Amino acid sequence: MNDIPLTWFLIFAAACFVIGLMGVLVRRNAIAVLMAIEIMLNAANINLVAFWRYGTPVEGDSPISGVMFAIFVITVAAAEVAVGIGLILLCYRRWHAADVDRFDSLSG
Amino acid sequence: MNVACDWAFPLVWAQQSELDSIPWLKWIIVLAVVFFGIFPGIVAYTVWGERKVAARFQDRIGPNRVGPLGLLQPIADAIKLITKEDLVPRSADRWVHLIAPVLILVSAFLVLPVIPFGVGLAAVNPPSGLIYLIAVSSLSALGIFLAGWSSRNKYSLLGAMRAVAQLVSYEVPQVLSIVPIILWAGSLSMVTIFDKQVLYGWFLFSPPGMLAFVTLTIANIAEVNRTPFDLPEAESEIIAGYHTEYSGMRFGLFFLAEYLSVFAVSCLGTAIFLGGGTLPWPLTGEPVVTLGGGETLFAMLLLNLPLIGIFMAKVSLYIFLMFWIRATLPRLRVDQLMAFAWKFMVPLCIINIFISAVWYECVIRPSKPNYLLGWGVTLPLVVVSIIGVLALYRSSMKAEPVELTTGSRRRSVVRSVS
Amino acid sequence: MNQILFGVIATMGVLSALGTVLARNLVHAGLFLVAFFFLIACQFVMLEAEFLAAVQVLVYIGAVAIILMFGIMLTRNIQGDDTTTVSRAGFIAGGLAAVGLLTVLIFGITHEEGRSGRPAWNSVTTRPAIYPASARKSESQAAAINNMGLAVGEDLLTRYIVAFEAAGILLTAALVGAIALAIQEGPVSDDPSDRVKSKQNAESLAADEAESLLTSSRA
Repeated sequence: MNDIPLTWFLIFAAACFVIGLMGVLVRRNAIAVLMAIEIMLNAANINLVAFWRYGTPVEGDSPISGVMFAIFVITVAAAEVAVGIGLILLCYRRWHAADVDRFDSLSG
Repeated sequence: MNVACDWAFPLVWAQQSELDSIPWLKWIIVLAVVFFGIFPGIVAYTVWGERKVAARFQDRIGPNRVGPLGLLQPIADAIKLITKEDLVPRSADRWVHLIAPVLILVSAFLVLPVIPFGVGLAAVNPPSGLIYLIAVSSLSALGIFLAGWSSRNKYSLLGAMRAVAQLVSYEVPQVLSIVPIILWAGSLSMVTIFDKQVLYGWFLFSPPGMLAFVTLTIANIAEVNRTPFDLPEAESEIIAGYHTEYSGMRFGLFFLAEYLSVFAVSCLGTAIFLGGGTLPWPLTGEPVVTLGGGETLFAMLLLNLPLIGIFMAKVSLYIFLMFWIRATLPRLRVDQLMAFAWKFMVPLCIINIFISAVWYECVIRPSKPNYLLGWGVTLPLVVVSIIGVLALYRSSMKAEPVELTTGSRRRSVVRSVS
Repeated sequence: MNQILFGVIATMGVLSALGTVLARNLVHAGLFLVAFFFLIACQFVMLEAEFLAAVQVLVYIGAVAIILMFGIMLTRNIQGDDTTTVSRAGFIAGGLAAVGLLTVLIFGITHEEGRSGRPAWNSVTTRPAIYPASARKSESQAAAINNMGLAVGEDLLTRYIVAFEAAGILLTAALVGAIALAIQEGPVSDDPSDRVKSKQNAESLAADEAESLLTSSRA
């Protein structure tokens, strides 16, 4: 049985990250941008876990360091989405649009 | 028992399949028979049982035309559903409309493999089985949302919104009332939880365990959208909620999913609180697992048959409890529903986690369990916390003027301004 | 076998990510996002982190996707409109930037040389074994992989206790902040049922939207 090379996971994560980046650049709807950010965070998680699984564990370090990293990323992502949706709702109520291009009252 | 690598996930499967390829075949057959034969059959007769029970509660007879005692009624119903035309509304989002019931059904099915029906009878035993179970059961909220959204019908949408709000809210007390079990068993594996109950007796038999069982049951009833929490499909308010626009076998899938999840949450309650297939008093001096490990197929069968029988009897009782509640209680109002979850269930469950830690210190951690001390300390704590939370809940409900929904209040404000 | 499985999951993952980014209808994008989350969970299983996979499904599909769907419902017409992407020029620019970054990343990944006695990423083709006891060095890792829930719990309350507490504070702050942001104007009480009310508001808003949808579809 052939194991999966590490680089495959890295390239998959890179591809997902790039797609997420494209989404952030291309999308105008704020919620779509939020979704794209979630894709990028997930891609980063894949990298963390892949390096953890393929690397040799360091003596005295946590045996599941990569997983712990990923868990904290997931925690922060969940909080981020909750606050993000709250902000978007507020902006929508004020400007009646969820397009990021419309939130420009700070630009001179 | 080979616990270390016992969880059947693809990599391990692949490794084993290099040794011999027969297990794959066996698995496929087992899955096909169990998942597409037995469980739908259980669902069919749960429906029949519900109709009979509800009829008795209402002083009727119930189905009695098709077969003796109406026993063939589910088959007739299934044929009726299959032969009906499968309508998709013209303005509906066709693909999402088709996917949604499948998603709900899959979520209900995926719960079942981790349930230990007997010794060695959990289809898979992942070390995080309980988390897995909670995770896949939360998928159904998404399916319900998509069903309501894709139908392009305001009743569907309203029902879906209600359902999702309710499912998300009641998932919190559901998970919080499972936490004491994780604490006591020291594991997330359903099989380990079963083994621990063989050692320590049912987890129900402790004051925090009883409280957690009651809160879990209430949350379970809300999770499967049954009366008194059936607002998402309240016929008198919003037709049939999220499955208003479904017909034929696609409606049948919703039906199947609903009763399958009733069965699944009953299995969950039985497996983690009622000791699975064990009797309250120990049959033998030693854990059942050691009896079953490494025996012949015949011995396994002999051991498992009574276990499955007892397990199913408990599940039937649990389901009957749900029927009973459904036949007895009226439906809640939306604000009551939400306030009950957030103001009563959640605080009580959080307090209960601390009380169960006390029970752990008194009974489970010491090498010689001190049941007297455990009951003496935790019983007053449980009673005081129930009374306290109930008093707070009632006072908060009294302080707030009763209003139907915030939406109606908002409209009335607008009207008064204009 | 594993490689084929990986290939299937990775292809579907990339496709669903693309679907998320490119789908015009936001709910469809959300559906693709759910598929993507699920495939990432599958990848975690391929990496033998099944606890993380379960957490991924629980948090992302069970919570984040639902919040996003609620957000979609509350902020736009139910019918998808086509203003969700930027103009064609912006699209091309974004695509070019993405392709450029991807090229750089792939080049970097395949040409990494490994620092200070570690193997290059390219040469790592097998993971440390956990099934036989032969891999002595990664024994604690093997134990952690076989009962990850336990290992995560122990680590959270010993080694990562500060981060754990910080995450708790962050979540509390996020909860309060989200409620404070999303609550509607008007008579506001300061009891914990506000979150409930915002949900009910969601429901009534959805009703309004549904009505407007019906009228528009009739027209």
